[in-house]
Amino acid sequence: MLNFRFIFRQIRSSHKQALIFVFCVALSLLTLVSLGGFSSSVRSSMLKDARQLHAADIIIHSHYPLSPVLTTAIKDYEKQGLATSAVVHEFYSMTSNTALEKSVLSHLKVIEKGYPFYGKVELASGRDFSEVLKEGTIVVEQSALDRLGAEPGDSLQIGSAELIIADTVIAEPDRPVSFFSFGPRIFVAAADLERLDLIRMGSRIHYNYLLKVNDPAMVDRLADELASVAVAPQERVNTFENAESGVKRFFENFLFFLNLIGIFTLLLAGIGIQTALGALLRDSEYTIGIMKAVGATNRFICSHFILMIMLLGTFGTLLGLSLSFLLQLYLPALFGGILPASVDLVIAWDTVFEGLLLGTAVVGLFSFMPLRRVRNLKPAAIFRKERGTAGGRLAQYFTIGVITCFFTGLTIWQLEDIATGIYFVLGLVGLLGLNTLITQALLRIIRKKRPRTLALRQAFRGLFRPKNATRAIIITLSASLSVIFSIYLIEQNLQATFIQSYPPDLPNAYFLDIQPTQRQKFSTILGTEAQFYPIIRARLASINGRAIDREIERQRRRDNLSREFNLTYRDFLLDDEQLIVGDSLFGNRIEELRQRGEVPVSVLDTVAEIGDIRVGNLLVFSVQSIPLKARVTSMRTRTESQVRPYFYFVFQEETLKAAPQTIFSAAKMERAKLAEVQNRLAKELPNISVIDIAKTIEILARIMHKLSTIVQFFTSFSIIAGLLIIISSIFATRLARIREAVYYKILGASSGFVLQVFTLENFLIAMVCGLLAGLIAQAGSWIVCSRVFDISYHPLPGRMAIMVGITVLLVIGVGIGASLSILQQKPAGFLRDEE
Amino acid sequence: MADKVLEAVELSKSYRVDDRRITVLDNISMAVEKGEFLVIEGKSGSGKSTLLSLLSGLYKPDSGRILLNDRDITGLSEDQLAPFRNRTIGYVFQSFHLIPSLTALENIMFPAELNHDPAATAKAAELLRRVDLHQRDDNFPHQLSGGEKQRVALCRALVNSPQIVFADEPTGNLDSANGETILQLLMKLRREVATTLVMATHSREISSTADRILRLVDGRIDS
Repeated sequence: MLNFRFIFRQIRSSHKQALIFVFCVALSLLTLVSLGGFSSSVRSSMLKDARQLHAADIIIHSHYPLSPVLTTAIKDYEKQGLATSAVVHEFYSMTSNTALEKSVLSHLKVIEKGYPFYGKVELASGRDFSEVLKEGTIVVEQSALDRLGAEPGDSLQIGSAELIIADTVIAEPDRPVSFFSFGPRIFVAAADLERLDLIRMGSRIHYNYLLKVNDPAMVDRLADELASVAVAPQERVNTFENAESGVKRFFENFLFFLNLIGIFTLLLAGIGIQTALGALLRDSEYTIGIMKAVGATNRFICSHFILMIMLLGTFGTLLGLSLSFLLQLYLPALFGGILPASVDLVIAWDTVFEGLLLGTAVVGLFSFMPLRRVRNLKPAAIFRKERGTAGGRLAQYFTIGVITCFFTGLTIWQLEDIATGIYFVLGLVGLLGLNTLITQALLRIIRKKRPRTLALRQAFRGLFRPKNATRAIIITLSASLSVIFSIYLIEQNLQATFIQSYPPDLPNAYFLDIQPTQRQKFSTILGTEAQFYPIIRARLASINGRAIDREIERQRRRDNLSREFNLTYRDFLLDDEQLIVGDSLFGNRIEELRQRGEVPVSVLDTVAEIGDIRVGNLLVFSVQSIPLKARVTSMRTRTESQVRPYFYFVFQEETLKAAPQTIFSAAKMERAKLAEVQNRLAKELPNISVIDIAKTIEILARIMHKLSTIVQFFTSFSIIAGLLIIISSIFATRLARIREAVYYKILGASSGFVLQVFTLENFLIAMVCGLLAGLIAQAGSWIVCSRVFDISYHPLPGRMAIMVGITVLLVIGVGIGASLSILQQKPAGFLRDEE
Repeated sequence: MADKVLEAVELSKSYRVDDRRITVLDNISMAVEKGEFLVIEGKSGSGKSTLLSLLSGLYKPDSGRILLNDRDITGLSEDQLAPFRNRTIGYVFQSFHLIPSLTALENIMFPAELNHDPAATAKAAELLRRVDLHQRDDNFPHQLSGGEKQRVALCRALVNSPQIVFADEPTGNLDSANGETILQLLMKLRREVATTLVMATHSREISSTADRILRLVDGRIDS
């Protein structure tokens, strides 16, 4: 029969360890459940507002004007009264305030009457959008006014048209974020489109055809019909429910990455659970010994402790779920700027249920070893000479095996990606394994050291105090710190390469959509030497006869082969390119290829890796629906990763010269000159867009910093696991520490000396953690920077030292905080109790 | 009085247990002369250990004063008492109280190192040799028997050549053979270091070897 009073008394007598156990369980759930709940809230908000998010029932997206057959189909629906349509053109263009001679690259949205079919464009004046935006007027974002020094009522030059600012836009339904935009939004009425005179052949225009279906039940049917006549793949037909957006995809990818951090925190918190529970049960060893000595069976004792663990585990799980919900309240602010929708937080019951299951599983898994110690404890424990063991090696290996399987399964389930899940678990096992090995080796060395300074020597010895969880502390803390350090180092290296040390000789301005006929005039306006790159837009249809599976490609987390590529032609390598396969760009079998109806193409290694493309492979491109058979004749690589133009596919001039094309140009010029060029281009060649690289880099830096901050925020929870283990370890060794402190004092040491010893002990732990984490982070970041990003690596020793310093202060602060009562212990009282 | 090393004036000490106040020592006045071997004798619960703790500065009395070498140590803080304890006083406890994380040699060296004595290692090794434990210098306390632990504790108490050694039932946790050995060693070392010894015991046998006996009965000196 269970004795509940006994269970409550055991919890009360070890309440500090019990509390740490509860915190560790809560911590194990915190990240995963809050992220799960948050993403459920985001998805539900997006689904609820899906019509508003896309402003229509059916959305047809294309980079070209709609094909005649699709246009006819839409017109038929309108005639039959089944649907209403509106065309939205989105593109970048220069906008100028001619009075002040200021220009800015702006993101134009040219809309037809009816837009938005759902949702609302909110204006600063509060007026109705459809009443405000008329022919000859524009509605602009505040930042456009700020940058152009304009205000409502002023007129701005866009393309060939002079348009009057009618109002300021605050929000638009189908673009909830401006985070990724390279220029402020400007709404233009469709009636002014021709006057702008900006749409030329090859211009980068997003054509969005929005349809409002009068009978909601017919949405899917009409969409299917439209999809069946659309020209694939350039015309994409979606309903509001299945339409994808880049921002949404980015958000999903980012959550995917954060989930990995959640699993990492779960694992470290699991180590905390095991350590805290081990300490809690060790507190009870004497009691367990007595119970066994008077005849209690293992079954009786274990059932009591299992119930105790279940009780505490339940508290921890409930606390974790509550904290997760509280954390979710903060997440919209943390994610501010990258959320694809305004989020109404909802309690996702499936996430709560998953959280409960997860809490039970984690407590069960990590309680196994400490409970085995209870089972193996002999009654001789009452003489305090014997401790329980975790059982044979087989049992330990079995437990580790079960935990590994659990985490692999959990990771795959969370990520819905078997390969990534397995790689992640292997990486995690590698990280913890490496940490464990180095920690063991370091502790072995430290154990043999005998420093001359007395306090330091005592601190060294303190690390090996019985029940001290030194190894667990170092492993968990250094693992979490190594992740945080790595993220910081990678971010800083990316910033250093792409942003701070942007090479002065590289172009600082990009010019898009130059028509071949404008080349001469453009050069005159530029007045300086510039590089010109012809651009022909095309899609890759197949590799070696194997068609590109667009669905699979879109699921890739990095670049993919389903998107439209910019092909170019030239017969030379760029300054930052070199051939890695082949003697020349196009080889010496050009004639032979021509006879087979093929043309040579040189491929960049990065895209080759995505599609496993090799020299000799046959690629078929679709250039405005015309197939182009290209044989891979060489492979190129880039020698440096900088913000400069590069092309995946390079052809001979004769292959693509006749294809519809625009010219892309890059030039290096003074900022004042660039402003002048921007103004002249806006006036004389308004279809040409100018990208100021300095401004672009600012945006990139802001995005990188934002993402890094979010990742570090979530990783910091794993540090808490390490700190909880420190506190648990101090509580577990409280008696030993008090004994040491008392003996020191009796033998004539001041409390300053005792404080010094404990501080040094924490300092040693922190230094080992910091240095170990630093070492692993340096190695990991170097691999990521040199292999993944292909950039030169800077170890940033000064900043690493600061981070290690912060770690030291944190660990010492927590360690001393938990030891304060020990330091204040009076010797005589303790000795009397000990005698 | 000439050559007085320790003096207690009207010491009283009581404890509170739940709502009851228990007087352990009541108005004790006494003095110890340099080089003297004083035994504080009494039954269990008579207040011997408490008196020893008060005299050695481990406890603070409720009232009264303690003078060590004519200096009043009653009001000193723990940190002010620390150097006194280190240089002037040595302790031997019934439960040995060796630092578990230090070897036998390191335990003995510890007070000398706190005193920044450059010869700490040599002195500790010599003391270990004199108690015939030099071959166990690298052993940790848990690797030593009770008698061996107490021998190490004796050495530790004497390593700084203190003026006064307090011993609280030093043979209480040992069998008679080990107890006899410890006692003989203590006497021998005390003579060699020429220190004062104040020992709490209820053993008549030990008391018989003392220069003077102070008998405690219910917290008062039995005169």
